[in-house]
Amino acid sequence: MEEIELHLTVNNLACTLMVQPCSTLLDVLREKLGLTGTKQACGEGDCGACVVVMDDQAVNSCLVLAAQAEGTKIITVEGLAMNGKLHPLQHYFAEKWAFQCGFCTPGMLMSCYALLLHNPNPNAEEIRQAIAGNLCRCGSYQGVVEAVLATTKMKHEVSHGGV
Amino acid sequence: MVGFSVIGKPVQANRSHEIVTGKARYCPDIHLPGMLVGKLLYPKFPCAKIIRLDVRAARALPGVISVLTASDIPGENSYLYAEPADQPLLVTDMVRYQGDALAAVAAESEETTQAALEAIQVEYEPLEGIYDVRQAMQPGAHQVWPDRPNICDHLVINHGDIEAGFKQAEVIVENTYTTPLIEHAFMETEGAVAYMDETGTMVVYSSCQAPHRDRLQIARSLGVPENQVRVITPHIGGAFGGKDEAHVQIHAALLAQASCRPVRLIRTREESILTHVKRHPIIIRYRSGASQDGKLTAVHAEAIGDTGPYLNAGRDVMNFVAATLSGPYYVPNARLEAYTVFTNNPICGAMRGFGIPQASFACEAHMDALARALDMDPLEIRMRNGLETGMQVPTGVTIREGRGMKICLQEAAQLAGWKDRKKINRQPAPHMRRGWGMASIWFSIGMGRNIPDHAAASLEVTRDGSVILHTGAADMGQGAHTTLAQLAAEALGVRFETVRVIGPDTHQTIDAGPSVASRQTFISGNAVLRAAKPIRETLLQSASEMTRLPSELLQLRDGIVLADGEALSLNVAQCAQNALQNNRLLHADGFYAMEYPEKLPPHNYPYAPSVFTYGTQVAQVLVDIETGQLTIEKLVAVQDPGRVINPGGARGQVEGGIIMGLGYAVMEELLVEQGITKNPNLGTYLIPTAKDVPELVIKLVEVPEPYAPYGAKGLGEPPLTPTAPAILNAVVDAIGIPLTQIPLTAERILGAIEAARPTDIQNSPKNLS
Repeated sequence: MEEIELHLTVNNLACTLMVQPCSTLLDVLREKLGLTGTKQACGEGDCGACVVVMDDQAVNSCLVLAAQAEGTKIITVEGLAMNGKLHPLQHYFAEKWAFQCGFCTPGMLMSCYALLLHNPNPNAEEIRQAIAGNLCRCGSYQGVVEAVLATTKMKHEVSHGGV
Repeated sequence: MVGFSVIGKPVQANRSHEIVTGKARYCPDIHLPGMLVGKLLYPKFPCAKIIRLDVRAARALPGVISVLTASDIPGENSYLYAEPADQPLLVTDMVRYQGDALAAVAAESEETTQAALEAIQVEYEPLEGIYDVRQAMQPGAHQVWPDRPNICDHLVINHGDIEAGFKQAEVIVENTYTTPLIEHAFMETEGAVAYMDETGTMVVYSSCQAPHRDRLQIARSLGVPENQVRVITPHIGGAFGGKDEAHVQIHAALLAQASCRPVRLIRTREESILTHVKRHPIIIRYRSGASQDGKLTAVHAEAIGDTGPYLNAGRDVMNFVAATLSGPYYVPNARLEAYTVFTNNPICGAMRGFGIPQASFACEAHMDALARALDMDPLEIRMRNGLETGMQVPTGVTIREGRGMKICLQEAAQLAGWKDRKKINRQPAPHMRRGWGMASIWFSIGMGRNIPDHAAASLEVTRDGSVILHTGAADMGQGAHTTLAQLAAEALGVRFETVRVIGPDTHQTIDAGPSVASRQTFISGNAVLRAAKPIRETLLQSASEMTRLPSELLQLRDGIVLADGEALSLNVAQCAQNALQNNRLLHADGFYAMEYPEKLPPHNYPYAPSVFTYGTQVAQVLVDIETGQLTIEKLVAVQDPGRVINPGGARGQVEGGIIMGLGYAVMEELLVEQGITKNPNLGTYLIPTAKDVPELVIKLVEVPEPYAPYGAKGLGEPPLTPTAPAILNAVVDAIGIPLTQIPLTAERILGAIEAARPTDIQNSPKNLS
């Protein structure tokens, strides 16, 4: 099949790539851009391991055709840390043991990141809802909830500290 | 000693930074120049003769580099887990289940590999097959193997006098319990990347639990010495027993050998569910007798396990079922039987718990049935029969440390408010029923007395005082590397952050055995302590020479030398430099093999599990009797790991175990019809999500285990074991109708409620007409 030209911004870098029309966003990230942090665990939208943030929305990148991502802004797990400094979610995921094997972690982090974009102060139930599509067979869900709560608490303290 | 400085303290997981930044490399993330895509061809039928297998068209396709069939394998065409090694890597004349592989392909792209698989021509003669385990046991049933009976193993454990025990009984209860076929559903499917390096060594990155056993298997099939195979485990995305036996790593190596190119072979989710071993579905007939005061007099239990067509670990799992069927109780007279039965269903083998979850499910559901027959409280009957140190169990093994059983039971009852539960509303709405249930378990740590069970570990202290720990133990997420690093830090007297773990790489690490049987904390842990001891002595010898104080007065703690408990201005780096300056070695290997100082039991049954951990869980549930819908309101879990080394990891293992146990109890079941799995994906095979997790109350009690490192005996598998029977017992308590089967789906619960209704209600449509 003839390749198509794709323009998108990934982790704040503008990219132009030639891709197969049948490629998914996940294929492009992993195979073309070498961003293997985003995982594939089912390939059909059941597990959430491939979640990235596309124009501020969490999406299963295995269900997004590359062509649908034309002109969008994508953030992956590799884009969370800034200048070598971990995003607070990353910090608290490690501190609160929000994972065991870590394979679901990139998708889980991005679902939580998208949640906080829209709801900076979620409660535990809202966090569980936001990660309901992210399977973790190690069962570290409670750690994820605690990590997000700790992140919001920290942000709260920082913003109040600034006043 | 002023308490521990590292163990029991919160630390972050080893390599957690890689995980949260997405840098952690798992097999699918490894990319090598010129790498080919490998795939296996799976059959169209679960039981068939292969009349013709023609790969010529596939080989001729552009971009296809290698197509292998059985005859192309230079060495042994078999997996090695079982004796006899009956499972071929690539089948020759017979397909025996849906997950058999017929051919292996390596090509330039995913699409070309797929095209090659489609170009392979296979002519089958479909056979009838056998898919029902009870039918498989009947004379005249279709035989999976012409020269082997379908009942491939029948273990009988006899203890005391079973007839006399039942004669003595004042109450006898018999039920039959059924457990489902279930799936590991590790998030990372099985995978491997293999390439030949410049020295002619076959290097294999393998998502596995047993890297050194992989090495042996790969060498044996490639027809090369073991020292020409190098197995490395990258990050592993979960395993739960399903990556114990080899999966695709041997095939990947064979394709890399044949193509002289790197090959990556990753199973799709569907392939994963269709092929790898499962948790045995087991039918257990359980008969027990007790005196009026609730003391068990006899247990006769018979378990039938459908193991699929190959041995794998199936017989071993069923032997563990037999050995643990009597539960954490003193049973003076017992007959415990386990049948391992061949069928053409999916292969069953190791899955977190190794048969003990099934045995515990039957035992604990039955304990409540017996309590009901005696009109006795479930807590009371368990207290009256609970195991204690020094008691003999049916295998003839004497309990080395048994205090944990009753401590966990009492703690769980207290935390759950067991005695006050009747004050809580049992009927919060006309159609809602609340109930409580408990389950207690014993869980064997290690391989069992009759199986080699050892590990090695190496430690090196460098000139700047940083430490390198080499371990052959695979960390699949259970936290072995963090725990071992903590043990190393504690034993050496250095800070946890200064210990760097080098995980399994068979060119660098020594065999630590597989990461199974909740054994690595105990066994690799002891190996680490043994490696640390001489290094610590050497460091203290240097400290003694530098301070001119007797070494008995000195100790190392957090990397600082203390004299009589007071910190000196002398650290581990200075001691290390002094030692090396004086030509003293700061590198040591430790080796540990499981110790069994007790005398051999009179009947030496297979495995004879000898080291046990204990736990009790209490479930509080709510059942909608109009729809059958079950809500788990709360789960209380108390577990005795001997000693908590790594609190974060321990919590993860317990919470994760309970959640996996919850899935087993209420939702998980592979639906297999005539040997074909009907729900081979995560959209139809459901596992618990964040929304399914109830309130969890967890407590770890510490009853130090003799011979274990700082008393820590292991925690990986036990916590999932009591969950399903605790939930079942709670549902039975809620609806007042006995249940004997999991998963407790709404349909199953409603079915039981409807079946128990008086017949006039059942016939109501007739009355209406």
